[in-house]
Amino acid sequence: MYESIKALVDASMSTDTPISELMIQQEMTKNNVSREEVWQQMARNLEVMEAAVKRGVEGDGVFSKTGLTGGEAVLLKKYREKGHTLSGDTMVEAVQNAIATNEVNAAMGVVCATPTAGSTGTLPGVLFVIRDRLNLSREQMINFLFTAGAFGMIIANNAMIAGATGGCQAEVGSASAMAAAAAVEAAGGNAEQSAEALAMAMSNLLGLVCDPVAGLVELPCVKRNAIGAGNALIAADMALAGCTNKIPADEVVSAMKEVGQGLPKALRETGIGGLAGTPTGVKMKVSIFGKSVPVS
Amino acid sequence: MSGNYKSVFDIIGPVMIGPSSSHTAGAVAIGRAANRIFGDVPTKIIVHYYESFAQTHKGHGTDYAIISGIMGFEPDDARVPNALQIAKDSGIEVQFIEEAGDSPIGHPNTAIVELSKADREITVAGCSIGGGTIEIRDIKMDGFHIKPKGPLPILLVQSDASNKNLIQEKLAKINTINYHAEYDAPGKGMLYEYDLENRLKEQDLSTLSQKHTKMVYL
Repeated sequence: MYESIKALVDASMSTDTPISELMIQQEMTKNNVSREEVWQQMARNLEVMEAAVKRGVEGDGVFSKTGLTGGEAVLLKKYREKGHTLSGDTMVEAVQNAIATNEVNAAMGVVCATPTAGSTGTLPGVLFVIRDRLNLSREQMINFLFTAGAFGMIIANNAMIAGATGGCQAEVGSASAMAAAAAVEAAGGNAEQSAEALAMAMSNLLGLVCDPVAGLVELPCVKRNAIGAGNALIAADMALAGCTNKIPADEVVSAMKEVGQGLPKALRETGIGGLAGTPTGVKMKVSIFGKSVPVS
Repeated sequence: MSGNYKSVFDIIGPVMIGPSSSHTAGAVAIGRAANRIFGDVPTKIIVHYYESFAQTHKGHGTDYAIISGIMGFEPDDARVPNALQIAKDSGIEVQFIEEAGDSPIGHPNTAIVELSKADREITVAGCSIGGGTIEIRDIKMDGFHIKPKGPLPILLVQSDASNKNLIQEKLAKINTINYHAEYDAPGKGMLYEYDLENRLKEQDLSTLSQKHTKMVYL
């Protein structure tokens, strides 16, 4: 197993092999499975992602049981159709796809967790717009997921990917970093540029807290995926332009871990602090679950 | 490096019913581990929640998720959100307890599950470390008190001592044993615990199976 981003990047650069291919090989060797099995399983995951993105914009959209989230992917789609977006159609479509996926998740629909369910919209947000921008083939889309997974494994094993242990920086932060790195490969960048994109994306979201209102994966989780997707595209573009993070990717991952461990419990998926602790957040929790909440 | 995440599909996946991979899909996984250890549908389930699980289990759907797993459902089974009703209709008594203190196994996403039926009872302490991946850190079953290191896969073999070397040799050929422990319980014989590096396949399990052995694969 690749134990660091540097080891992964070095292996890719020295053998001129894309990271997606290194990931497929590791998966085959480590779990003693055929290439075909590995490939088909990832293809099925891609289909789940496509279905969620689609379901989120059908009709009036998808709404959660609590009514706190839903229908906003449809609003974004209609807004895009008017053709006057401020950040451009690609960016707003990425946001739409990310939000659609997390609205399906909040409504207890079927999603593919990438790396987590709370951050499930970030990768599809990026993937389905660059598919159109770069005319990606099915094969390239599946490779995107392997590359994202390769970087995600290193983050998960060296730091964390759960909001309860590291805050939202560990979830949407990790997802955004994975998406940025994979987008660079899909656009023809090399492994070093992927690592720079990862480092920039994660650096941008360091410190992001996990403060779900009423302990639900709705507010602010759904919209944080919009930021995760947008941030990933920006970081990937910066890396492809030749910008560098200066602080190496592995050190950024270590910093994320340290920041996560330093976050107070109230800001690590307890539904106590941050937005969850605002008067409106507390009121929502009481109206949904009918009891007062601990405030410390 | 922890090495808990061993497959790309731990990161790109699982395919699951929302809303949370740690609090929903991970809770299904803890429930499924308890289901395998119990090997039967219980008549009574008590779930103790700690820290983040205690604070947010209702919002995250942890209750229906953990019961789904105990009943053997997969994380993407359409029945997952209705599991509490399904358990009730099957006559299973279910109780959730929000514990005030810190997790006894040292993780904010902790559930301790007690399953019982007639005079048999087991206890499983699991934690959900993120993205649907779990660790099992404490098991009480059939007189044995097992304390795994945490990361899966874990193979538990209940057997008399004569089979031990044979199983261990076979296992070493097909896998890497990261940790091994032996437990005995009066009148119950021996229980061998193997914490493995790689996942076992169905056919590997049948290869390992010996006469008079009982295996639990997590």
